Amino acid sequence: MTVVPFLVVAVTAGTASLLMRAHRRWSTTIALAGLLAMAATASAIGATAIVEIGGSRLAGSDWLRLFAILGSVIGLFLVLVDVTAVHEPDAPGVIVLGLAAAVLALALTDPGVAIAAATAGGLAGVLVAAPVGAAARAAFVGTRELRALAVAGALAILATAWLARPLGDLITAPAVFGFAYLAFAVAVAVRFGAIPFHLWAARVADAAPGVALPLLMAWGPAAFAAVALVWIDQSVAPLLLPLSTERALIATIGAMSVVLGLVAAWIQDDLEHVVGYTIVSDAGFVVLGLAVLDPDIWEPTRTWLLMFVVTRSALAAWVVALHGGFGTRRLPSLAGWARRAPALGIALIAIAAASVGWPGLALWETRSSIATLSLPVPVAVLVTVAPLLGLAIYGRILATGLEQPGAIVRDGRGERPGWPVPWPSRPMVGLGGTERAFERVAHAGSAALDVLWTLPAAARRNRQPIASVAVVVLAALATSVAAGGLGVPAAARAVPIVEPGPGQPQPSSSAAPGETGSPEPEVSFEPIEGPSGSSLP
Amino acid sequence: MTIAGAVLAVSAREPRGTLLGLLVVLLAAPLIATPWPGPLPILARVAAALLATRLIVVGLRGEGELVGDGSRIGWPAEALAAAAAAVAGFASHGLGAAGLGGPEAQAAGFALGALAAAPLVTGRDVLRLGVGSLLLLQAALLVRQALDAPATDGEQLVISLLTIGLGGAVAVIVAAARAAGRLAIADEDTRGDTPAPRRADAHRPTERDLGRRTRQATPSPAAPRASRR
Repeated sequence: MTVVPFLVVAVTAGTASLLMRAHRRWSTTIALAGLLAMAATASAIGATAIVEIGGSRLAGSDWLRLFAILGSVIGLFLVLVDVTAVHEPDAPGVIVLGLAAAVLALALTDPGVAIAAATAGGLAGVLVAAPVGAAARAAFVGTRELRALAVAGALAILATAWLARPLGDLITAPAVFGFAYLAFAVAVAVRFGAIPFHLWAARVADAAPGVALPLLMAWGPAAFAAVALVWIDQSVAPLLLPLSTERALIATIGAMSVVLGLVAAWIQDDLEHVVGYTIVSDAGFVVLGLAVLDPDIWEPTRTWLLMFVVTRSALAAWVVALHGGFGTRRLPSLAGWARRAPALGIALIAIAAASVGWPGLALWETRSSIATLSLPVPVAVLVTVAPLLGLAIYGRILATGLEQPGAIVRDGRGERPGWPVPWPSRPMVGLGGTERAFERVAHAGSAALDVLWTLPAAARRNRQPIASVAVVVLAALATSVAAGGLGVPAAARAVPIVEPGPGQPQPSSSAAPGETGSPEPEVSFEPIEGPSGSSLP
Repeated sequence: MTIAGAVLAVSAREPRGTLLGLLVVLLAAPLIATPWPGPLPILARVAAALLATRLIVVGLRGEGELVGDGSRIGWPAEALAAAAAAVAGFASHGLGAAGLGGPEAQAAGFALGALAAAPLVTGRDVLRLGVGSLLLLQAALLVRQALDAPATDGEQLVISLLTIGLGGAVAVIVAAARAAGRLAIADEDTRGDTPAPRRADAHRPTERDLGRRTRQATPSPAAPRASRR
């Protein structure tokens, strides 16, 4: 199946959810149903399915399918956590529409059009960063976000347009390719809020609902970065130009983001800021991946894109659940949280392990590969071990959770499950065996009805345990992806080869990324190896 | 026509003038192409332009007249800057190689880019900043029109979606600012609630400032004193 059913479902559900924003329950229900349907349709996307609409091609791939499935499932859990914790308006619809735009951008084979789609998806985020009816400060945050999106989008559109035609003698001028390459890489850095372009991202982390943060700062920009990676490999890398100054500049931005993002996250008291800056830090590795023109960078960078969006989504969900339970995101006010919410404590440990990793873990090796390929050895070692600072960040949060509970935490919801009404007692009054049997059946029926009627109230009363369970599931998913599960590395290896422009070198249909050869522009895929080593279709 | 619309959009103080200019830009930009897009893509772009502008109008709706910052250098200077950029764009068509589109598109793109710079960098009201963002992206799309092969119908559809998204984003921001009763951006100091107090810079505090400080420091006789345990 092509990607079209997924897009139709997502656009319909997202638009309907936003149109019903005045009725929050309906809006959320539509988004949840849409995300379920999106997960189902995403799993049916064919790795080689291509469809042409109005002269533009939409192509599926294993990586795209995994991105869509993970995005839908994680979006589902994020909305669930949001409903049980804080229930922010508009966030579910924006998550659905943003995901649709990200998948559309990844499916489009023309990078110039894909950039327009990725930018349009980012704009959906303004709706939650500057919600209608919010204070003027929200307008300030929204303005910053809009400006960043416009600048990044314009840079990327110009870069792709410059090299998407017969270049004549200009092909011998490396400066042209250097400028275009630098512009696109800087656009990616701006979209991620990489340091020094982080100011807008910091404000968005402050103002946007926690549940929408992964979409605004990770999923949407990840699609943008994936398009950049494809474009760089097709338009810049095959020319074998050194471009050392541009690459050094991009690598510097990436390395700075990795290290300084972690330091910034460490000193934050607001947990949503911690999420925001850890995303900035992780995005540094993506920017580092763009600094390499070697085809070897493909697999680790695309693997890392999926790993980091999943782990950071889990962390964002954890923060939303904690916020919903205790009514605050400020760490100093959350003393003793782990004592009242032990499941969230376990989830945090799992998320920490999945985010920091250790040598030998797929996540660690992926980061190490990116750093080694993009940086000189001493700096690469420093950047590779820098995520260990994450232990201090998570350790600080956990240490606060193990303290004596403060007043705010004591008054919070806690995770202990309960039932809203006392269980009715039904004494047996029958004398004979038959009478008692009938009575038992009647009691069982009555008890079942009691449970059914009380379920909505029970769900309301147990909001915190439900949110915690959802976060634990997300943490488990993050751990699995960090360990290289769900076929992430294999999917990252199977990279679609996009349609090159008339002036670009023509890639071979069966070549690995970076190699050139065939004169016919076509969409093709490198076969990937299944678990048994056999080639998948 | 596109450039004239953009000049009007960035220099008008009245939101109505800004929106009219913006509408002209969005309607005229897709037509600076050789060959023209088909009727369906044009219809999609026209619908997107109308919808984007309409969304901003909805965001601006409310009690009281709103006045934006407008251009600080005035429309003649903006027009001259745009004309200069247009000449540069026209002359450098293709940017070093043969462009597949018309030089007029690149001229318009350069002009819109030049006009978008000031609102984006120095704009202090949300509508002006939103217009700057919209013009910047439109400028990039026009340059793409000039350099690359004519856009396919699918591409026109995606650009239409982008235009609607931009209009919606500007509308949302304007509505948030409107809720505070003005288009000016509330920055870090104001925190969105009260206007920022003007800090003393090189001047010594005036007698009035000193008097106010003294009154603030002295407790009111009516106020009960905090008892110590």
